[in-house]
Amino acid sequence: MHAHGIAALVTLLVSATFGIIVALQLLWPELGRDTAWLSWGRLRYAHTQGIMLGWLGNAFLAFLYHGVPILTGRPVTSRALGAWIFGLWNFAVMVPGWLLVLAGISQPLEWAEFPLVVDVFVVLALLLAAVQFVPCFFARGLESLYVSSWYILGGLVFTLLSYPMGNIVPEVVAGASGAAFSGLWIHDAVGLFVTPMALAIIYFVIPAASRRPIYSHFLSMLGFWLLFFLYPLNGTHHYVFSVIPMAAQIGAITASALLGVDVLIVVTNLFLSMRGSGFVPRDLGLRFVGMSTFFYLVVSVQGASQAQMAVNQAVHFTDWVVGHSHLAMLGFASFAAAGGLVHAWQRIAWARYNARAITWAFWLMTAGMVIMFVDLTIAGLVQGRLWADGAPWIESVQATRPYWMIRALTGIPLAGAFIALLVGLTTGPRGAGLREVEASIGTEPVDEIAPRLAPAAAVEAS
Amino acid sequence: MSGQPQRALRMSYVVASVAGVAFFVMSVALLGWWPKRVLDEQSRAMGPEYVLPLSESARRGRVVYSREGCAYCHTQQVRYLHTDMARFGAPTLAWETRLDYPHLWGTRRIGPDLTRAAFTRSTDWHFAHLFSPRAVVPASVMPAYAALFDGAPDRPRQEARDLVAYLETLGRARELAAPEGEARAREACNCTDDEMAMMAFDGALNAHPGRARRTHEAPALPRSADLDRGRQLYGEHCATCHGATGQGDGPGARGLRPAPASLAEHEYSTDRLADVLWNGVWGTAMPAWRDRRPEDLAAIAEAVRALTRAEPNPPVPDHMVELGARVFRENCVQCHGDEGLGNGPAAAELAMSPSNFHRQRPSLDRAIRVLRNGIDGTPMAPWTARLSDAELIAVAHHVRGYYEGASAAPGGVRR
Ligand code: HEC
Ligand code: HEC
Ligand code: HEC
Repeated sequence: MHAHGIAALVTLLVSATFGIIVALQLLWPELGRDTAWLSWGRLRYAHTQGIMLGWLGNAFLAFLYHGVPILTGRPVTSRALGAWIFGLWNFAVMVPGWLLVLAGISQPLEWAEFPLVVDVFVVLALLLAAVQFVPCFFARGLESLYVSSWYILGGLVFTLLSYPMGNIVPEVVAGASGAAFSGLWIHDAVGLFVTPMALAIIYFVIPAASRRPIYSHFLSMLGFWLLFFLYPLNGTHHYVFSVIPMAAQIGAITASALLGVDVLIVVTNLFLSMRGSGFVPRDLGLRFVGMSTFFYLVVSVQGASQAQMAVNQAVHFTDWVVGHSHLAMLGFASFAAAGGLVHAWQRIAWARYNARAITWAFWLMTAGMVIMFVDLTIAGLVQGRLWADGAPWIESVQATRPYWMIRALTGIPLAGAFIALLVGLTTGPRGAGLREVEASIGTEPVDEIAPRLAPAAAVEAS
Repeated sequence: MSGQPQRALRMSYVVASVAGVAFFVMSVALLGWWPKRVLDEQSRAMGPEYVLPLSESARRGRVVYSREGCAYCHTQQVRYLHTDMARFGAPTLAWETRLDYPHLWGTRRIGPDLTRAAFTRSTDWHFAHLFSPRAVVPASVMPAYAALFDGAPDRPRQEARDLVAYLETLGRARELAAPEGEARAREACNCTDDEMAMMAFDGALNAHPGRARRTHEAPALPRSADLDRGRQLYGEHCATCHGATGQGDGPGARGLRPAPASLAEHEYSTDRLADVLWNGVWGTAMPAWRDRRPEDLAAIAEAVRALTRAEPNPPVPDHMVELGARVFRENCVQCHGDEGLGNGPAAAELAMSPSNFHRQRPSLDRAIRVLRNGIDGTPMAPWTARLSDAELIAVAHHVRGYYEGASAAPGGVRR
């Protein structure tokens, strides 16, 4: 599990480097001109696949090794299996995926750029991960499953279902119809893989670190089920005003609005659970997770509104959307993943831990994220305005340059944050995290945390 | 907890789990499978019987397009919105995409939509642009694809040829099918009361403001023009090809056939410049500039005129006048027309229009050079094999004689 954590941070740095290069190439397009594999398009593929599968995938797996045994009171299926999953994920998926994409073997499908050969291993690794973690949950019966457990189960199962749909179906279903399936996957990748895993972490870390049970187990479960009902129905909102039948578009737009409401429920519940921890919690894991929750709120409200036709008309295809996806992946998901890692590291007796570096990581990441988001959102509005006014195309490119400059500059705090996070979790004295927890609120044996992570505790508390 | 509520809870979870899976299945059915059925049906009913498949080369080009991530800066989907239609043309119909495995719709437009790229730009423009976008469009941020070339834009490797072959299929099927195809689709659509669906048949099929048009009225340019602004715009948009001093030697000129005109060696009438700026030069890399404001076009025209190098106009010796007229009558009228209006009987068959000498006057040097060497990449061939030196010079003088001055009435609109 430790290995997944380190792999996560390393892939994060690599992916972020890709991201920074593509951001710079929009300012100095001649950068990397004579090197085919350094071309903007290929790096762009490597960037998003790296973030989603490499960084978030690894970080989520790392967290599962910490969370699942506590949640279920049972060890994971097998250590050897763990080694296999790690090997597959990093050496059969990430490394070859990147190499192939940069060498020009890929699919032009968003969030599905790794070629089909690699997809086979993704599915295989996910299957093995299901074998590794899912049986634990059935040990004690459904009624004692905490909401995090539900999210983990849901995430694993539905990712397995939807991954082939996004990666394979458009290869065999042409054009507009294929796009309809792609739309589903673009949304399911975020909704059924990233969101559930991130929420599982948030729901876990808040009660574990704050020592208070979740505010309402009922709201948690309501949020969970609504999310799984509504998320899959959102996909077509990526293709509003297209030839895809209007009824499907309207349906997706409506589901998007409802999803916004659902997120309000989830976030209210989470913030109520955090009350008393302060605006900037002292506990670093909790701090990341709290910020993640905040970004989740913003990104979801934004998502629900930009699916609406009036907004969509103005901002679709612009940098507004790029800002939105960064807020989701970097704001919401990455803060949750980082929070999960920090939280787990604090509880491993032999793990190195450097609180100062982690604090730096938090503030740098927050600053970078907020500036980038505001910047890209404004850029999107400017572009949308120029397009609607019928200005020559190139003016929309020229007008964006200052915004792209600021966006590229946010690479500095962000890269700094990621390095600081890596430093924070690989240097410093061994067991420093544990000692810090001891010093502040005292450690807790697992049998005391565990009950708080069971529905009963929540039911009693509310 | 007693057994009863526990069982109820367990039951409710089972129900919810089943419902969760059911919703997922429903999403695939309602938002994937059902649209697919509707769209397949639409494709069948509205599309032409037979859609030209991609050539082997275009298919390979599509792979290049895919692997380079062109779709992440260029969409291939014109939306049912007036803003999209004004810029790119008719919204995408389902049947137009029926050969797209996988689709390349895209979700971000850093560059313009390419749904209707076919017949929009010339092949040599594409090569010059792919080799070095900023040599053609200075403010572009598009990556250079020099790796697809052997060191120069006019030496494309097979991959570059494939890619351009692919670009030249985009929107082709619908353009070739029109207008009968449009009528057929409209009828099959059976959607006269559906405002949005009807948008697919509103307006121009290809509305690209840079697409050259062979013949088209050009609105007159505003009279007053701001020379400084014109020079600035010329520097931003024209100097890449025509060169800073208008000698046709800008960085983008490399590889263009025909090469950009040497503006310094020409006089142009106002209506000729209006025509070129509104409609481009059909059959060449010279784009149109219809997305600019008329005042800006007038300013640019002024700047182009200011590039002309003043030359003495020596009187033509009498014996040459006669000789020139005869040579012209015997050799040139089938293309350039009896009166030099560029409307000879063969003109309509040519890939580009012959010059109308009433509206533009090459310098004597330029005219003689053209007669000696021809213009590479155009139907204008060299004449040294047919005509003596004296005849060349005489006919060069002759064609210069047609010019009616800067404000010539548009008597010679090309047909
Ligand atoms: C980083 C984003 C980016 C990528 C990647 C990109 N382009 Fe472009 N492209 C642009 C921009 C910006 C323009 C508008 C400025 C210009 O004409 O260069 C453009 C313009 C074009 C045009 C002219 C379109 C018109 O209507 O004027 C074509 C054709 C084109 N690109 C083809 C391609 C192809 C083919 C690829 C892939 C090999 C590609 N582009 C990759 C950004 C990009
Ligand atoms: C992509 C390169 C390119 C750009 C950019 C370009 N031109 Fe041209 N231009 C050409 C080519 C090629 C021709 C055709 C030459 C021929 O007909 O032999 C041409 C022809 C012309 C002609 C007609 C010349 C003649 O003798 O028939 C004029 C006038 C002209 N361009 C002006 C402009 C102006 C003004 C701009 C900027 C707004 C501009 N061009 C931008 C390539 C370009
Ligand atoms: C096959 C048709 C054809 C014939 C025959 C022909 N021309 Fe041309 N000519 C053209 C075309 C087409 C162009 C425009 C090329 C361009 O714009 O680059 C042209 C351009 C020219 C130009 C350049 C004009 C400019 O503004 O730079 C001159 C000069 C010219 N022709 C003279 C002649 C003379 C003199 C003859 C007879 C001896 C002749 N042409 C015969 C087709 C023809």
